[in-house]
Amino acid sequence: MSETVRRKGITGYILLAPAVVWLVAFFLIPFYSLLAASLFNSDGSDFRGYTMTYEWSNYWHAIQDYYPQFIRSLVYAGFATFFCLILGYVLAYAIAFKSGRWKNLMLVLVIAPFFTSFLVRTLSWKLILGNDGVVVNTLQFLHILGPNGHLLYTPFAVVMGLTYNFLPFMVLPLFASIDKIDYRLIEASNDLYANPVVGFFKVTWPLSLPGVVSGTLLTFIPAVGDYINDELLGSTQTRMIGNTIQSLFTEANDYPAASALSVILMLMIVVMVLFYVKRAGTEDLL
Amino acid sequence: MSHLAEDTTTVAAAEGTPGAGLGLRALTKQFANFTAVDSLDLDVPTGSFFALLGPSGCGKTTTLRMVAGLETPTSGTIHLAGKDITHQKPYRRPVNTVFQNYALFPHLDIFENVAFGPRRRKVAGIDAEVHRMLELVELTSQTRKVPAQLSGGQQQRVALARALINKPEVLLLDEPLGALDLKLRRQMQIELKRIQTEVGITFIHVTHDQEEAMTMADTIAVMNAGVIEQMGAPDDLYENPRTTFVANFLGQSNLIDGTIRSRDGDMTRVDMHGIMVSVPRERTHATDSRGWVGIRPEKVLIGEEGEALDAPGNTIPGGVISDVSFVGVSTQYLVRMPWGQELQVFEQNTGRRRIFRTGDRVELSWRPEYAFVLDHAQDASAGSQIDDE
Amino acid sequence: MAEGPGRPGLSRRTVLRGAGGVAFVGASLAALKLPFFSVDGAQQDPRTCRATDVSATDKRLIISNWPEYIDPIHKPNSTVSVFEQRTGISVDYTDDINDNSEFYAKVKNQLGSCQSINRDMIVMTDWMAARMIGLGWIQPLDASKMPNLHKNLIPRLRNRPWDPDLKYHAPWQSGLTGIAYNADRTGEVKSFSELLTRSDLHGKITLLTEMRDTMGFMLRTVGADPDKFTDTQWQNALDSLSKAVADGQVRSFNGNDYLNDLASGNTLACAAWSGDVILAQADNPNIKFVTPEEGLSLWADNMLVPNLAQHQANAEKWIDYYYEPDVAAKLADWNYYICPVQGAQEVMLKLDKPAAKSPLIFPTDEMLANTWGFMALNDQQEIQYERDWADVTSG
Repeated sequence: MSETVRRKGITGYILLAPAVVWLVAFFLIPFYSLLAASLFNSDGSDFRGYTMTYEWSNYWHAIQDYYPQFIRSLVYAGFATFFCLILGYVLAYAIAFKSGRWKNLMLVLVIAPFFTSFLVRTLSWKLILGNDGVVVNTLQFLHILGPNGHLLYTPFAVVMGLTYNFLPFMVLPLFASIDKIDYRLIEASNDLYANPVVGFFKVTWPLSLPGVVSGTLLTFIPAVGDYINDELLGSTQTRMIGNTIQSLFTEANDYPAASALSVILMLMIVVMVLFYVKRAGTEDLL
Repeated sequence: MSHLAEDTTTVAAAEGTPGAGLGLRALTKQFANFTAVDSLDLDVPTGSFFALLGPSGCGKTTTLRMVAGLETPTSGTIHLAGKDITHQKPYRRPVNTVFQNYALFPHLDIFENVAFGPRRRKVAGIDAEVHRMLELVELTSQTRKVPAQLSGGQQQRVALARALINKPEVLLLDEPLGALDLKLRRQMQIELKRIQTEVGITFIHVTHDQEEAMTMADTIAVMNAGVIEQMGAPDDLYENPRTTFVANFLGQSNLIDGTIRSRDGDMTRVDMHGIMVSVPRERTHATDSRGWVGIRPEKVLIGEEGEALDAPGNTIPGGVISDVSFVGVSTQYLVRMPWGQELQVFEQNTGRRRIFRTGDRVELSWRPEYAFVLDHAQDASAGSQIDDE
Repeated sequence: MAEGPGRPGLSRRTVLRGAGGVAFVGASLAALKLPFFSVDGAQQDPRTCRATDVSATDKRLIISNWPEYIDPIHKPNSTVSVFEQRTGISVDYTDDINDNSEFYAKVKNQLGSCQSINRDMIVMTDWMAARMIGLGWIQPLDASKMPNLHKNLIPRLRNRPWDPDLKYHAPWQSGLTGIAYNADRTGEVKSFSELLTRSDLHGKITLLTEMRDTMGFMLRTVGADPDKFTDTQWQNALDSLSKAVADGQVRSFNGNDYLNDLASGNTLACAAWSGDVILAQADNPNIKFVTPEEGLSLWADNMLVPNLAQHQANAEKWIDYYYEPDVAAKLADWNYYICPVQGAQEVMLKLDKPAAKSPLIFPTDEMLANTWGFMALNDQQEIQYERDWADVTSG
């Protein structure tokens, strides 16, 4: 009897091992190295190397110098997440309840953009939103946009790109959540004097909350750190924190500052996510 | 109350304004490739416990959903308390439903589930009313639990309370006991009946279980393939079925090929493979010269060959026992008749006679007033192969 | 599994022993050097970090270059094919360099710790070539094996401060940085100051991502000499750029598709590389290249032999080959950049090639006199300036 119990225990550890190894190799060690690099002497260089001097001022300088980029990233990612939620919810709802036998095809179409490179897709938005593009010409014709107005290289274009690129990350968890809802519950709400709008907010929405929470997290977290969209669709006025980190790492070779920024970004996201999940009352998701 | 059934049947057949209850006129629902409900006329008087009985796919649930407003009729009208509600939105109808799997809101506790309707209608005194309802269904101690924490029977009661609290004109119950085990089902049948009597609301109960329908309902409408086969009080339907479907679906029947020889006075004389039997005129539902003579197995008396049975008129000799099933309270025999057909006979185990064995030669007999004659054009096996799901 | 009877609570001795253990582990951790707690300098000594040359026995040459920088290599009479026929060396040519910084990041860990990058030749722009030479990652070349280089290199590209004697490098192609504008949509842009101040260009200009390209011009606008400037002048130039960025005059810093933006009207004018402009003019003649009043920045992409390259002699043969005027002319006829080889223009004139008359391929002495380079930076300056630059460009 005790034999089987023990074997069961070992099986559990064996099954866990790949995950632990993966986490240690691809998260803990890199994170530790990042943490260490963020405390290196800030006057180090590739020529002379870097040493650990516990330079906590790296953090202070990073915040001081780059807080506008931090705020901007949060705001852009926040807007993009909000737009993704609105668009994604409608899409996921339609696929779950209204698409009938086209459901699988619709789902494939949602992830179809992943078949082409992120970069290429974002570049194509550059053409769409460009000054000679259809969108700008139409808006100018309708006098919504002035003759000198433009869309490309504005915060709008960046948020638009983020929304587009992260939409599938919103749609899929939302779909999984909404698809699980028994349609009879919605009928029951209608039967119990809830019109479709009230029924949505009292039944569908609360039941889809797990999808909303995971969808917004899966959208917001990568969007905050994203730099491709801003690199291609933004301007010097719209730089996000990801761009700063990228240029500090690869161009200025200022590893301590870049590491400090990365650590701050990560901590910020962790704190926000914990707070959010607590507020949403779905701790069991984590 | 059984005389009521006769009256409603007449009303249902007649054209004209429906009464104070629920009235369906020529109600039809067509889906892409089949007709679920075919020009249905039905009147349900206020305050009755009405059962819509039929096998799955007969259109009873579709009918119910059209009454609830969850399905739009292809044609026809629905009237409730003198008002046309055919195209009224479900959330405006004074009709509530107890769904098949209850459809309780999983994210709300029991109290909030029951309070859902009143909150939408913004009525006063919700707390007191919810407690009163939970008392009625005996769930006062579970108010803050969520549905998943309750047993099937308890969920059933919550669903009932959630619907009843709105005091609808009509309460629709869609196979409400289908998910419960047999014992609990019996218990809930009695409970439902008690509650209906207590609140006096019209209940329309959709079920495929004939026993359930007969136990609870004042009036049963037997539905088959989108139309109502027969409607009436449970005993009337059982004792005097008008179609082979009803005869087979509601209990069991022996249906024997026969030729009508005469229709004089109160009696119809039928030649049943050379044996003349009598059936009262009002129980003869065949218009042609041929018909199916029907008799319920428990109405058939069985005796030794040549024994004088207490059944004046219809005696059929020459039977041979081909199967015996002893079920305790009764014994069920299969008797092979001279013309080859096997008839079912149920005999109470009163202990007055011995139990026959396979191969024994016997005589059968029944009282003429228990027999009925059905249209020969109908399929003698209609309604008999349908499984109790 | 019952506990043994009378299991004692933690005794004082146990606690002491435990504490001692913790202290011991702590001390050992401190004594051990924690991993990742330092990064060694990436500087190497090319004299020790070198491989045995196997050129004579292994007739191969592995080259990394920028895309579209050579005439189609697989054609039977291409410059590469002729080289292979003539020398018997088989050339493994890859165009996997897209960006100096990116390539630097790619090879840093290997070259910085004296490991081979499996290439015999790489091509880097002046400043990166200077940095790599400074880091000791580049092998000195044998001048005696490359007489053509020392004889035919155009004077303007000689005596670069970071390698005055061509000890480590040989220019592959050279180019100019100036201003391009879309004549269809705006008037001529004559100077860099104009680019940064003209209100009709507000938000519709791009500058190049490479620090030296842009800051050279900024230094000129504040009256400094990019070949020799002080920290104060640098700061002035940076402030003036920073202001233009903050005002929104500069839309972005771009080094890739900035001419697409110019052609499609997303921008009206930009800092531009001469070769890119020639290429874009083929599609859109309205794109014009101007020599700004501040002058032109002259730069070159240079062939370098990295440490541990195994075919250095073959690489030197390659360099010498491309410095023959006939070969250089053939390459110049295909390329859109400045040919660094004297005598190539004469060969092309003889063959009556139109490119021979293009000032963007064979610039006039007058033009060349108006060019400048960027001074060599020491380690400290390099770090400081790159960080200043990153701060400005990242908004």
